[in-house]
Formats: sequence, structure tokens, C-alpha cells
Amino acid sequence: MKRTAPRSTLRKIIKKHKPQLRLAANADLLVHLSFLLFLHRLAEEARTNAFENKSKIIKPEHTISAAKVILKKSRG
Amino acid sequence: MASRGGGTPAASGASGPAELQLPQGPRGLSPPPPPPPRNYADHNAPRRRRNYPPHTAPRPLPALARVSREEAGGGNRWAVTGPAMADRRPRARPGLRRSGHNARAVAQTGSSVENKSKSVRSTLAKQGLGVFPDLRNGTPRLMLKRVMQNQPQVSPLAPQISNHEDTKEAHSEVPSQRVSSMGELQLPDVAPEDTSTTVFNMKKKRRKFSISEFERAAESRLPQYQAQSALDSTVMTRSLRMSVGSLLAPDTVEKRGLLRRPKTRRAVDMQAFEGRVEQNLLKSKGQNDLVDSQSASVIRTSMLTSDAEMMMNSTELFVQPLLDEESQNKLSALEPQLSDSKTSAQRSPISDADQEEARLEGLVSSVSTNQERTQRYSKSTGLDDEHVDRMSHVSPETPAKQGEEKQDHSQQSNPVAKISVTEEEVVCTAERGASAGHSEHLEKKLAEKAELQITAGHASRGETEVAPSAGKEVEEGSTGAHSSPRAEHEITRGIGAESLGRPSHAFSSFEKPEVTPVDEIDEQGDELQDQAMMLNLDSSVGEPAEDEAEQPESQEVSMKTPTFVRAPPHKLLLSAKPAKASAPSFPQSSPLKLLQPKTVPKRLRTSQKKPREPQVPRSLIKAIFRHFAKMPVTRDAFQIVEKCSERYFKQLSDDLEAYSHHAGRKTVEAADLEVLMRRQGLVTDKMPLRVLIERHLPLEYRRLLIPVAVSGNKVIPSK
Repeated sequence: MKRTAPRSTLRKIIKKHKPQLRLAANADLLVHLSFLLFLHRLAEEARTNAFENKSKIIKPEHTISAAKVILKKSRG
Repeated sequence: MASRGGGTPAASGASGPAELQLPQGPRGLSPPPPPPPRNYADHNAPRRRRNYPPHTAPRPLPALARVSREEAGGGNRWAVTGPAMADRRPRARPGLRRSGHNARAVAQTGSSVENKSKSVRSTLAKQGLGVFPDLRNGTPRLMLKRVMQNQPQVSPLAPQISNHEDTKEAHSEVPSQRVSSMGELQLPDVAPEDTSTTVFNMKKKRRKFSISEFERAAESRLPQYQAQSALDSTVMTRSLRMSVGSLLAPDTVEKRGLLRRPKTRRAVDMQAFEGRVEQNLLKSKGQNDLVDSQSASVIRTSMLTSDAEMMMNSTELFVQPLLDEESQNKLSALEPQLSDSKTSAQRSPISDADQEEARLEGLVSSVSTNQERTQRYSKSTGLDDEHVDRMSHVSPETPAKQGEEKQDHSQQSNPVAKISVTEEEVVCTAERGASAGHSEHLEKKLAEKAELQITAGHASRGETEVAPSAGKEVEEGSTGAHSSPRAEHEITRGIGAESLGRPSHAFSSFEKPEVTPVDEIDEQGDELQDQAMMLNLDSSVGEPAEDEAEQPESQEVSMKTPTFVRAPPHKLLLSAKPAKASAPSFPQSSPLKLLQPKTVPKRLRTSQKKPREPQVPRSLIKAIFRHFAKMPVTRDAFQIVEKCSERYFKQLSDDLEAYSHHAGRKTVEAADLEVLMRRQGLVTDKMPLRVLIERHLPLEYRRLLIPVAVSGNKVIPSK
């Protein structure tokens, strides 16, 4: 079900933010990997929040609270 | 006839094994006694379907008769009588058959197996009947059968059934008596079969075939049936004729009915429709203003306000409060003028289909919508609406927008009135000479008129706000009218734009640029409309006060050359853009764009942001998130996830830049990424990066990222 990584899109995104920055050959794959792990953590956190709310659906409020935590974690 | 042993299997499959088992009179019924003589009067009496000839006719040898009988309806009889007989006398059958076979063996030497079976059946039937006298009529099944048979049947299988019945009767009755009837029926058997089949076909096909086809077939067949005397008497033919006759009648009727009558539709009369719309509006708002009703009706009918325009109108709310009284006064004054222009305007818009007019409509509609939005004073808006409507008459969208305008008209206030006031001003100016041209234009061309009115209105309004500038505006308006309707249109647009964004100051400044970017404005209908709306608002605000002031100023303005009209379009565009941007109507501009000619949106898009922001495809994010969450996620939550991902990428790029800069490089390398992940807490001493790669990335990427050593001192990927 997983699709191919949008390599060119990732490059364009980074280029848009940092035009002077270059990317190595397969670095964008690692960027994709980091993005995957970020989503993974976000999903887990949101899932946990939903469980705590005894809700079977992930609602925006769960996601927001999860995002706050995870974005802070992912700052590096 | 085959031997009994051989004949038994041929007799019936079901009874075969039974017969085999019982070589002799199985159930203790060896040759049953001959059936006692019976009275078949009752049997004959109730029958209506068939007219059996009296059974007194001498019959051939019973064996032969039976054989012939059986031959004729053997199959059918067997089908009908066999199961019945089987049900009744399962045990007796085999024995009977055998006995029958035995009896018939000599008589039916030459007969085929079928005949043998048939003869067997007939003998069996006779014998069976003799054994069980009640079975003939006594059993409920038989009684039902007789009832059914006696009923007039119209089914296509009637003849066959009758044949079955005949055969059955033959079995039960004395065979000799039946021979004649059977013989007679045999002939009709063949014919009715055809008829039955034909009836069957006809009935079935009647639904599918055309009426004419059926009629032809029916007519062709009907004489055949009628010709056959034998059939006449049969129930089959009667039923057939009935069905055919009944079918014929409705068919002929239907034939004509099936032909479609050409639908007579009246073309929608735009004028009539508009008139009716006006009437409705008049009724609804008659109380508000007589003037308004008149103008409103006109305006409404012609008004084409898009939703966007209406929305845009809302931005000018602040302009409203002052103008009502003055506008009303002016409206009343303008009424006669308006009425004149109305008529001309109505004619012109209907006749003209210029693009200008369309644009003007949009402009006017925007103006009108603005006015509507303001909702300040319905009264004042009456006249204004009139003007606006006239201007917008042109477009065919009128009917669509009329509805909107109707509703809006009630809300319309000063803006419309202002417009009318401005028109008035324009008219005033025209009277002085400069405006004369305007009035002429108005009558000639709706677009021009609208422009004039708009520009005049705008100009007049602008003047009040900014006296010096106002004069220019009027001048521009007037000059624009003279120069070209387009210019006026643009001027009005520009004025509108000006008014929208800024107060009178901006108005004056916008004047010139508005005038010039005529062409561009036209193409950018959106902005122009916004501007026009704004202009309307502004003009409406300043109208009451400006009117008097404008007149003298207008004279001066009208003197000026149309240079202002040709003001550089760039200014107007620039002014329009900020005005537009400031206006909260931006979101509605897109629908306006759609209304505009196709060239307009293209230009707008090209001038705006062309490069689309690169985004990670939403579907991918959704898929990944859903996979990781393992729970249903709401759509709003996805929006948040998308925003988070954008933020994440921003953070990521910053970090990577920092790391690469720290390493003195300008390129982000894999080592930088690992550092990042380590700092994120994803890569630890316990969890190396390689493991993460192997876990989450597909093989193709793994192969690229993780060096693999292969034989021959080779490492893939090679560095």
C-alpha cells in the first residue's frame, strides 16, 4: 500500500525553504525516512490521545495536542 | 410389440424399475377386470369448450382406435395422464401396463414403441379406471382438472390441454366412442396447435413487436381462423378471435396514440419575463418607493449581480448612511430621466450583446450588488438600481441575476441611488454641453450609458469627497463617455476600485489610473468589478453632497480632454490590486472571474502566483498516517496533519542547513541526516539508522542507502 517516496517533491520543498542548500544523492531518501518516522510518532501520539478520550476516531483536537509534542521533539 | 420385459422400460422410466421388479401383476392386480360400463353424460354435459360429437359413431377396433388415439396424442396424453395415473395408481400402473402390453402385443405388432406405450397407457387407463371407479371424477385432483378444463381457456396451450383432456376422456370413456371425436379433434389438433402456437407467439410478441406488425399478423391469421369451420366451434378459436379482436381494437387506437405529437413550446420571452419579474418586485416593494419600484423593476430585470459582486458590495457598507435623503431627492429628479434612459437602455441591452455591455453588466451588477449589500436605503436604491439595471440589461444573465437582484433590491440603498444620482449628475453635466454627449450616449448604447452613469455617479461622488478630484472624475466620466464607452466603463471601474479601497483621497488618485488602464481593467473583470463596486459606494456616499457641487465642477471636468481617460493602466491596476486585496471580497473574486470572459481569468492567473507550492501529495500523507494510526481519522485531523508536516519540513530544512554549515559544507549529506535523526531521538545506540532504513523503506531504497558487500570485493552501492 505504501507508495514511492516523492523524491523530487521533497527536493523542491527543501529548495523552497533553503534555496542555497543542496542535497546529496540519496539524502532525500533519508529525508523521506525521517518524515515517515515523524508521521509515525504523530500518529501514535494522536492515537494515544484518542484512547485517553475514549474515542474511537482520531479527532482534530487529539492531533493538535499530539502535534505540539512531536514537533517539539522533532526539532533537533 | 416388444416383449414385455423390453416394453416395460420403454413404457415409462419411472415405472421401469418397478416393473422390472415385479414381473407379474405386482400389487396383486393381475389382469384387472374390464371396466364396467359408465354413464358419461355428466362428463359430456359440463363441457363447454369443446363440442364433442356424440360418441355413438362406430369406432374402429378398439385396439386400433386406441393406437391411433394414442399415437395422436400419445405424448401429450402421457404427459397429462401419466403422472396422474402414476400418482393414483403407482402400483397398478406397472401391472396394468404389463397387462396392457400383453394384451396389445398382438394388436400392435407394427406399432412403434410410442404406440405401444400409448396403447399400454390407454389400456392401463381403462383398466385402472375400472379398478378404481372413483378416480375418474371422485378425486379432488380430477375434479379440479375437470373444472379447469371446463372453464373457457384463452391460454395458448388451450388446444393442447384440450387434447390432453380429450385423450384423458378417451382413456376413461369407452375407447370406441372416443375414436371419432379424437379423429375429429386430431385434425383440429394440428390446426389449433398452430393457432395455439401462433396465439402464443402473438401474445408474447405483442409486447415486443410494434402494434402495426401485430395488427398485420393478426389480420392475416384471423381470416384463416375464421375460414376453418372446425376451429370455429372450438374454444380455442373463440378465444383466439376474442383475443385478436380485443387486441386489434386497442392497437388501432394505440397506433395513433403512439405517434408523438410535436411538442409546442413557447420560447421564453425575455422581455415578458423581465416584465413579470419587475411586477413581482413592484408588488413586494411597492410600498417602499414608487420610484424604487419603477427603477427597481427595471434594474432588477436587468441587473446581473453575481454572488461575488454581492459579496464585494458588502465591503462598502461604510459609505451608506449619508446618502439616503439626498439620493432619494436626486432619484426623484432622476426618475424622468431614468425612465427615458430606461426605455432606451432596455432596448439597447436587449439588442446589444457587446462584450462591453457584458462587462458593464458585471460592473453594474457589481455596483448593484454593492448597493444591495449596503442595504441602506431601499428607496434611494430604486433609482440607482434602475440605472444599474439598465446598464446590466445587456447580458443574458439577467434572468438569473434578476432573482438575486430582486432580493438585493430591497436591500439596495444609496449605492443604487447614488448611481442614479450620478447619472443625474451626468445628465446635468450633459445638459451643460459636456454631459449632453453623455445623455446621447446613454440613449444610444447601454454600455456607454451605464458607464456614463457609473462614471458620473462615481465622479460625482468622488467630487464630494475630494472636490478637486471629483471634478476630474466627472470630467473623466464625461470624457470617457465621449471618447468611448470602454473608457467610461473602465473609468467607472477604476472609480469603483478607488472607492472601494480608499476614501475620497484614494478616489481622486485612482481616478487617473483608473481611466488609463481601461483595457487592462476590462480584462481583469474581477478587479474592475470590485473597483466599480467600491466606486459605487464611494460615489453613493458623496452623491447627495456632491450633486450640487459636481455640477459646476462637472462642467469644468467635461472640458478637459480625454487624456485622463487614457491614464496609464498600470496605475489603475496597481490601485485596483491593493483595493481588491484590501477588500474582503477577494474570495468572491474568483466567481467573478468565472463570469468574466475567458481571457480575463487567464491574465489574472498569469499575473498572480504561477509557481505552485510544492507539497507532499495529500493522499500519500493520508495513507501513511492512516497506516500508522490504525484508527479512523477525521478529515479535519488530516488537515492538521498536513499543516504539521509543512511545519516539520521547515524545521527540517533549518536543521539540515545548520548541520551542513557546521560541517563546512554546502550540501546536505547522509551524515547530516543521521545527526538530525539522532537528535530527534529516532536513532539511538540501540537503534542504528540502518535498522530504521530496513524497517521503513522499501527494497529499492534500501539497496541505495545501505552498502552491501558482495563477492568479489564489491560493495553496492559503489562509492
